[in-house]
Amino acid sequence: MTSGIVEGRNVSEARTLTPDFCIIGSGAAGGVCALKLAEAGFDVLVLEEGPNIPKEQGHGGSAHVRKMFNEREGDMYRTLYQEGGSRLTKDGGIKVLQGRCLGGGTTVNWAACLPPRIETLEHWQKSYGLPFTRDNLLPYLKEVANYLPIVRNDKFNTSARKFIDGCQKLGIATETLPNNTHDCRECGSCGVGCPYDRKLSGIVRWLPDAISKGATIYTDTRVRKLVASGERVQEVQAVFLDAKTRPTKNTLTVRPRLGVLLAAGAIGTPSVLLRSGITLDRRVGKFTHIHPVTICIGKYKDRTFPAYGVPDNMWSPKFENGPTGYLMETGSYFPVLSASATLEHGAPLHKIVREFYPFGAIMYAHHTTGFDADQPYGTTALDRYGDPELDYKLAPDNLKAMRESLRVMSEIHLEAGAESVYHLRNPPLVVKSKADFAEIDRIRFDESQRASIFTVHVMGGCQMGNDERRSCVNTDFRLRGMQNLWVVDASIFPTGLGANPQVTIYSLALWASRLICEKHGKAFALHHQEGGTWPWLNY
Amino acid sequence: MAQLLNSVLGFFVSPKKAIPVDESKLEYLDGKTAQILFAVAEAVLGENFLQKAPQFIETVDNYLAYQRRATQELFTQALLLAEQPAFNLLVGGKLRSFSYMSITERQGILERLRGSDQQLRRNLYAAFVNVSAATYYASPATWGDIQYDGVSVDHPEILNRTPPIPWRPTDPRPVEK
Repeated sequence: MTSGIVEGRNVSEARTLTPDFCIIGSGAAGGVCALKLAEAGFDVLVLEEGPNIPKEQGHGGSAHVRKMFNEREGDMYRTLYQEGGSRLTKDGGIKVLQGRCLGGGTTVNWAACLPPRIETLEHWQKSYGLPFTRDNLLPYLKEVANYLPIVRNDKFNTSARKFIDGCQKLGIATETLPNNTHDCRECGSCGVGCPYDRKLSGIVRWLPDAISKGATIYTDTRVRKLVASGERVQEVQAVFLDAKTRPTKNTLTVRPRLGVLLAAGAIGTPSVLLRSGITLDRRVGKFTHIHPVTICIGKYKDRTFPAYGVPDNMWSPKFENGPTGYLMETGSYFPVLSASATLEHGAPLHKIVREFYPFGAIMYAHHTTGFDADQPYGTTALDRYGDPELDYKLAPDNLKAMRESLRVMSEIHLEAGAESVYHLRNPPLVVKSKADFAEIDRIRFDESQRASIFTVHVMGGCQMGNDERRSCVNTDFRLRGMQNLWVVDASIFPTGLGANPQVTIYSLALWASRLICEKHGKAFALHHQEGGTWPWLNY
Repeated sequence: MAQLLNSVLGFFVSPKKAIPVDESKLEYLDGKTAQILFAVAEAVLGENFLQKAPQFIETVDNYLAYQRRATQELFTQALLLAEQPAFNLLVGGKLRSFSYMSITERQGILERLRGSDQQLRRNLYAAFVNVSAATYYASPATWGDIQYDGVSVDHPEILNRTPPIPWRPTDPRPVEK
């Protein structure tokens, strides 16, 4: 196979390929495995449903090296995100933002790099028999930290400054949140793709290196199903998509010599299995977890320029009760995101956007889920056309924590000097003092569209574990009952992580790559163990 | 089934033709649903919204291409349902088609939908508001109203200002403790 990128939209005939390994998905896990398996000498093919993002000069000066990234939300959400940025849970209650492009989530995330929470790893070990510990993950975390590299970027935007100010006045600890930026230009557009290649995402690091080692990537290529015989996947059936993501008449058939790695994300991976009729007694798709996000926006006296600056490099964890809790972070925000989250119409819609956008600072909280064994959490299933749909129910402990995080963030805003704090409730809620906080406790997150709720972290759905009745994936990353099918992405997480998952996915994918290399008698090596600066002060 | 429902719902509507629609440029909407969408967007965004978002209908149509097929059908059904006089009688006590109501009356229907105890109706409200607001504020002509300076690749000078720059107002390059 010739290495490089093939854009499926330009393929005008049916094709059949026979690589050693076929990796489905080019996001965090797919990129790592592509590089490490290609480096070990395997013939590697990566299939990505989303579009290619070529490196080419754009109109925004010499630094604009990804022409396709024009930073305009309307264009970029549509092109780079699942379902045009409008993926919703089945009841319509939670907006699920997931990448659907070369590099997957790494291309559109806000570059936050946190290690897994130690309490979460301990829970996974104790309750599910997973082998990962703080100590045995360290070499993989170090490899990721040094390879990208991960840095402590302390250029804080206005939202982060307000957060630091308010937290200091309240005695709440804050920390720089390490990220994978390099000489950041502070355009704030991480979430719609870095036009300047200053975010060291999959399209900048893992995937070009994988190609240089011989890997081939097909973009615009949607996997329809796996065809298995006995305990082996014999064939991957895919179809090429056009520029608007519609299937063309041209198909791709892959007959992998050694195996298939599923790295399509926590909704994509279960959906491939379900379309293939591989349900493992209906365990596939179960126990899908998200980090539900609450958001509030403070209105300050002076303009805040909320779109610009490094979006996500300041945080404060709140985990007083073990693994469950939430992490507060800051970000950047843009007109479309602001307006679409506002459950309002007519003149009040414009009034809110015009008052809060130019003078706003954003704070938000990711809430950890998945630790209450009695809760079903999320289930990924297929709709009548075979497309995935996530049915998700917020658990009682999350509802409580979501109200608490909004109270805490509102207090931080007010201490930082905000004149008022706006909540994405239906109808919108504006609080001006602690006397108004009782209203926050009345927000009904458990009913669809009583408030705007987001998530950008989806995990689980193909749990790893040693319980045959509950788990789908063995601790060697192989799908139960299959000899040549590995699951290497966040869908193996038994619970939510309690941290932005990018770094954990990278690290576990390195681990999985090692096991696959060892199984096939190939050398596996970590090359970035020496030197570097450890980015996490408290890990 | 969904297509059948769309056909049935579509058969009984004849929305007010408020704007010229070139159906040849549309893939997922048609003349009827485009007119209903306009009526919905006018209720959400106010009169003359097309002045600042002239490609509104075409943009929503294009956006539908990226949705999964079930969502495309649901959105079209939502528009056709909103136009049904019987639906508006149930929701707002008015036996009239949505597109023939005044903006104030349409906003009254939206208000009833948003506050409904029925999830379906609240979702309908959210879909109409989200799509309308997102499409409107994606248009650069609206950005002046919210004092958004635009994107850096169009305006490189935004990032080339010497520190202190506006979003780091007090110190140019702070050092963490």
